[in-house]
Amino acid sequence: MELIIGGAFQGKTAFAKENFGISEEEIFVCNKDSAPEFDKKCITHIERFSFWCVEHGFEPVDYFFEHTKNIEDKIIISDDISCGVVPIDKTERAWREANGRILIKLSKEAEHVTRIFCGLSQRLK
Amino acid sequence: MKIYISGGAKNGKSMFAQEIAKKLSSEGHLWYLATMEPRDNEDDARVFRHRKERAGWGFKTAEWGRNIASHSKEFDCKGTYLVDSVTALLSNEMFGGMSGEINKPAAEKVANELLAFSDAVENVVFVSDNIFCDAAFYDEWTDSYREGLAKVDRLVAEKCDVVAEFSCNQIIFYKGAELV
Repeated sequence: MELIIGGAFQGKTAFAKENFGISEEEIFVCNKDSAPEFDKKCITHIERFSFWCVEHGFEPVDYFFEHTKNIEDKIIISDDISCGVVPIDKTERAWREANGRILIKLSKEAEHVTRIFCGLSQRLK
Repeated sequence: MKIYISGGAKNGKSMFAQEIAKKLSSEGHLWYLATMEPRDNEDDARVFRHRKERAGWGFKTAEWGRNIASHSKEFDCKGTYLVDSVTALLSNEMFGGMSGEINKPAAEKVANELLAFSDAVENVVFVSDNIFCDAAFYDEWTDSYREGLAKVDRLVAEKCDVVAEFSCNQIIFYKGAELV
């Protein structure tokens, strides 16, 4: 499994396409309003999935590992939402922590962890 | 040499930028390109503080808050420029119009003008800001601005020799570490 993280709009998906030959059709973009489907090879915006989980009473780590097959072949992408001020809103606070937990778990499972900054990559693992 | 520096606020970007610009510059060709257009007392105080910090370094100041290309006749081809900051420049271009609208294509314009400027002079140290890693859902204005700044960052960083991020006054290189 490949884990790619970085700030918003930094070029994470472009990196995945270029380095792992991912096409648009192979990408599932999570959103915060509906349940995800984890059958595609590349899953982006894990942070939005985490938000959906928090609003629906799920722990993202548990939900992801229960609903995903062939995790070892996946390319997982998340925005880094870990910096900035502690959110005032309770749901957003829980969201930030929940996303941190799933990224820690994913980074342990991942073969490589890559951080993208200004379109450039840095190998963290 | 062209250097792109970003990172969170108060992490050591400016001091490093000043030092490296000074080191690269030739006598009489060290420039501070100030892009912030002061709007209130707080801005004036910031400008005053920055001037004080730079005093004695030998910087000449160019105050170009927008339309960098319109100053092309003033570009010093032997100059070393510290551009502080890309963030303020984009903000002026995106939100500084009289219409009260967001100028979304501004990011592309700013990137193109900065690249042309960069090609015309000897050395540039660009300073930008990492505003991309917090947990919040923003209004359309703010999110357009974040997307725009990321675009400028990526387009300009791609052409730079050195790209680095500052964290806790530590430098993390993404390319060109061997050059500085």
